[in-house]
Amino acid sequence: MTSQGFLDTHLLSILIFAPLAAAAVSAVLRSEQAQRIWALVATTALAALSIGLWCRFDASTHAFQFVENYSWIPSLKINYAVGLDGISVLLVLLTTLITPLCVLASWTYIKKRVKEFMIALLVMEAAMVGVFSALDTVLFFTFWEAMLIPMSLMIGVWGGPRRIYASLKFFIYTMAGSIFLLVSIIAIRLQTGSFGIQEAMGHPFSHGFQLWIFAAFFLSFAIKVPMFPFHTWLPAAHVEAPTAGSVILASVLLKMGTYGFLRFCLPMAPYATQVLAPYIIWASVIAVIYGGFTALAQGDMKKLVAYSSVAHMGFAVMGIFSLNQQGLEGATLVMINHGITTGALFIMVGILYERLHTRELDKLAGLGAKIPVFTGFFGVFCLSSLAFPGTNSFVGEFLVLAGGFKASPWAVVCVVPGVIAAAAYMYRVLQKFAYGSAENPEHHEVADLSLREIITLAPLLFGVFWVGLHPQPLLNVMKVSLAHVLEQAQRHL
Amino acid sequence: MSPVLLATLVLLVPLASATVIALFLRRQGALASTVSVVAAALIATISGYLIFGGHRFTGSMEWLTLGTFSLRLGIKFDDLAALMLFVVSFVGFFIHVFSLGYMHDDKARARFFGGLSVFMFSMLGIVLADNLFMIFIFWELVGFSSYLLINHYHERQSAADASKKAFIVNRVGDFGFLIGIVWCYWANGTVDLSVLAEKSTVGALVFSTGIPLALFCGALGKSAQMPLHVWLPDAMEGPTPVSALIHAATMVAAGIYMLCRIQVLMVPDALTVIMWTGTVTALYAALCAITQRDIKKVLAYSTLSQLGYMVAAFGLGALSVGHATHKGVIAGALTAGAAAAMFHLATHAFFKALLFLGSGSVIHGCHHEQDIFKMGGLKGRMPLTFATFTIGVLAIIGMPYLAGLFSKDAILYLAYNNNSAVFAILATTAVLTSFYMVRMWKITFLGEARSHESEHAHESGISMTLPLVVLAVLSIVGGYGLVFRHLGGSLTDAIPVAHGSDHTVIFAVSLAVMLVGAGSAWFFYKPSADDRLEKGAPGLFTLLASKLWIDEAYLWYVAKVQQRFALVMNFLEQIFIAGLIVRGAAGLVGLVGIGARALHTGRAPAYAYWFLIGLVVLGAYALKVF
Repeated sequence: MTSQGFLDTHLLSILIFAPLAAAAVSAVLRSEQAQRIWALVATTALAALSIGLWCRFDASTHAFQFVENYSWIPSLKINYAVGLDGISVLLVLLTTLITPLCVLASWTYIKKRVKEFMIALLVMEAAMVGVFSALDTVLFFTFWEAMLIPMSLMIGVWGGPRRIYASLKFFIYTMAGSIFLLVSIIAIRLQTGSFGIQEAMGHPFSHGFQLWIFAAFFLSFAIKVPMFPFHTWLPAAHVEAPTAGSVILASVLLKMGTYGFLRFCLPMAPYATQVLAPYIIWASVIAVIYGGFTALAQGDMKKLVAYSSVAHMGFAVMGIFSLNQQGLEGATLVMINHGITTGALFIMVGILYERLHTRELDKLAGLGAKIPVFTGFFGVFCLSSLAFPGTNSFVGEFLVLAGGFKASPWAVVCVVPGVIAAAAYMYRVLQKFAYGSAENPEHHEVADLSLREIITLAPLLFGVFWVGLHPQPLLNVMKVSLAHVLEQAQRHL
Repeated sequence: MSPVLLATLVLLVPLASATVIALFLRRQGALASTVSVVAAALIATISGYLIFGGHRFTGSMEWLTLGTFSLRLGIKFDDLAALMLFVVSFVGFFIHVFSLGYMHDDKARARFFGGLSVFMFSMLGIVLADNLFMIFIFWELVGFSSYLLINHYHERQSAADASKKAFIVNRVGDFGFLIGIVWCYWANGTVDLSVLAEKSTVGALVFSTGIPLALFCGALGKSAQMPLHVWLPDAMEGPTPVSALIHAATMVAAGIYMLCRIQVLMVPDALTVIMWTGTVTALYAALCAITQRDIKKVLAYSTLSQLGYMVAAFGLGALSVGHATHKGVIAGALTAGAAAAMFHLATHAFFKALLFLGSGSVIHGCHHEQDIFKMGGLKGRMPLTFATFTIGVLAIIGMPYLAGLFSKDAILYLAYNNNSAVFAILATTAVLTSFYMVRMWKITFLGEARSHESEHAHESGISMTLPLVVLAVLSIVGGYGLVFRHLGGSLTDAIPVAHGSDHTVIFAVSLAVMLVGAGSAWFFYKPSADDRLEKGAPGLFTLLASKLWIDEAYLWYVAKVQQRFALVMNFLEQIFIAGLIVRGAAGLVGLVGIGARALHTGRAPAYAYWFLIGLVVLGAYALKVF
């Protein structure tokens, strides 16, 4: 230990607190351009730092790594405990890598109160990394709640015309879920005598108690995912949120729900998980079909992508509750893929909105032919969204279907209409956008992607093909940890 | 270079060509077409070396593993793959050459040739794949390239609609295919074709009717069998070389190829379903072909019908052993049915590619006129096209000593042996085939020119006529055992051949059906501007032209069921969930708030009353009043 420097031993804490420090620096910067550049430099530096996590992560063990443990509130035995396993390390990386892209996507999109926006973004990053790395339930809850404020502000201040309504809806929904989260955290503390997540994982709770905490956890995470019928905050929030807000929401925030299932529900309440998993699989089938068909009826591209999120996250939930290795790995991959693809689609819709101030598909018909580079990127992300082979989503969805088929063949068969609907809506968008023949005078002046926009999208494009063609490195990282979660979820009974 | 490396090269050359065209040559049509054709020539050369050099091998590498679950990428090059590779690479090459002439004046030539290269890459992937998972990946890719190419004239609404239809209908079938793959994996622990075959030799294979039927869904979509046939006739919106390559010779035959690949998984019940699907499709499509006016549509329905023939042949299974003892018997080798299907696949690829390219030459010559009733008199104006087209027609109707007769007779003989109802239907289909083919041929080429376009028709250039000649030669010699053995290898031995009295019966039947069909069309139709059947028997014509309203049924489903379901879902979302439940809950909370507020009047007496009531209730509770 002595040979390692401060940076090595405190990497995770640095990733959590450095954004806050960067936000403090932002507060004293004067010019808007300086704000942007500083936010970009800070988040990029953090992204580079987080690569260290990837390099130094030991995938051969499920034990938590980069662990730091300090007593926080000794009288209540609350600790500042952080650490990463194979699941959370990927989600932390997703967070740190996507944040600089959010800064880039907001470069010209955010015109008012640039300073405040960048501060909100940086605080958001700190809270998100914190959620994924917390190993103490109270610490987890603190970060979980801390996320709410910058996100609500992003929607409420920089959002569209109905931003106040959307922000309020988002806030109330998430708060409602949080209450249950808090109650079960306290209940677990009373049973185990500790707020530690690791202590609660594998603790032999009674069956009845498991059902209660499962229900409470499930409700709060299901709202976050969001699962049908707790999803209505999502389209409202997405439509009103600025591009960066939508990207953070889709790429990172939704993953916290599924992450919660993996971290809390499965290892802490294995009995309840096994009893309820079949029903939850069917609930996820409904989500896939519902999300798919509702997306089919949307004329607003952002809404369409939002509803497709409901369907994609349905796949993730299905994989998790298949309770087998394929399902879990598929689900984790779907979480990452959704972060890449949906994030990219939101950025692209935001780019269109900046240029034409509309997201209506009918008004964008035929635009593709005028901006070929944009269309090329857009086509790849659309294909990725409908899980085309060779792209990232295919690998994830295939594994989920393979796992789901083992758990419940009929559920997989029933998911078919949802998958067909996905082909239909993505196809409709692509066809109308790229080939729609309507001559629209408003399209004459539209510029193709700028260099900044290409730099924003290129990493995501790389991600699409990297995961699509060579997923093994990612699977290797998550494999052992997921196997451990599965082991914990399958004990007793 | 090792054969495995060469086979990988075959796969990578078109990918490289497509990439180069997409990245650098989007605006350089001439250069793009050269790159694409050179790539096709290279593929054909290497393939020729592999096929005729007698190289047969397998090789694979791991792609991803999860515990015991592993997916591999690999190449399996056996006689079956060699035959298919010949069809794809050689027919593909000549169609590339033809396209040089046909697409010469097209503005989006680069996109077209790039699309062809993407297609070659994905189709070769299916041919060479050694496991079902890999087949599926390329299966989706061919679907996508087919979509791109159908959509070539995207400014036409009909082309856009057709490409959409093809994409979505195929997606329906493909999902069944995917479920079949997953099912096969959980049942047998592998989707590797060689391992499955090994397992079946030692009797360790788990059989289930569901697995082959789910996999067959993939073939249903790609090979356009009923009820997923609707996309193929519409796909004729694409440029004619695309119709020849993708929608006649190679991609649509991939379904049959895939069935032969998974033959070890077949069970009797599944074979019966497959047999009847093919038989019904063969007859249905032949009936539809009779009323078509568009030269490409006639050929499209003819393709459907011939694909039905192949699927039926596959479903007929082993010769005279009957279905009951089928399971396990055929370990490793192909059944008579599969061999007959592949034989017909190959000869059909030759003569149907010839007919499509011939029609392309005609369309090109007639300045993009496709209605046969507006043609006529092309015999003299386009002699070479006429001659080769005639060979194609003779081959498909089963003229003795041409390729079509041999492969069609193999199927008829098999049906004669195994199932007389199927035999009767397939023979009827053969009558109809010669009927509609002769009708089209006579109206197109004979008589007087009936429009300005056909009056000024001209013979096509060398790049277009050369492929016609080569394919005409293949349509003649491709059916002879001597020639076919070089292509199909051991497959040739499995093809059912009638002997003795059976031979006489089959030969007589097939000669009779050809003569009846061709003769009645010859005497019934005159090269004129309108359809004599439409005038003579309008009722019958309308019934046939309706195509049994299957397209309408789908349209009804999409417009009235699917779209409305989406709207209902959206309505539910807006009104019920977002409105009633969410607003309702908010309203309820608000009401409670108003109620609670009403209690807090701020007047001391009111609070005193509340206090008293509370006291009484508590007291009652303590005294166990309730």
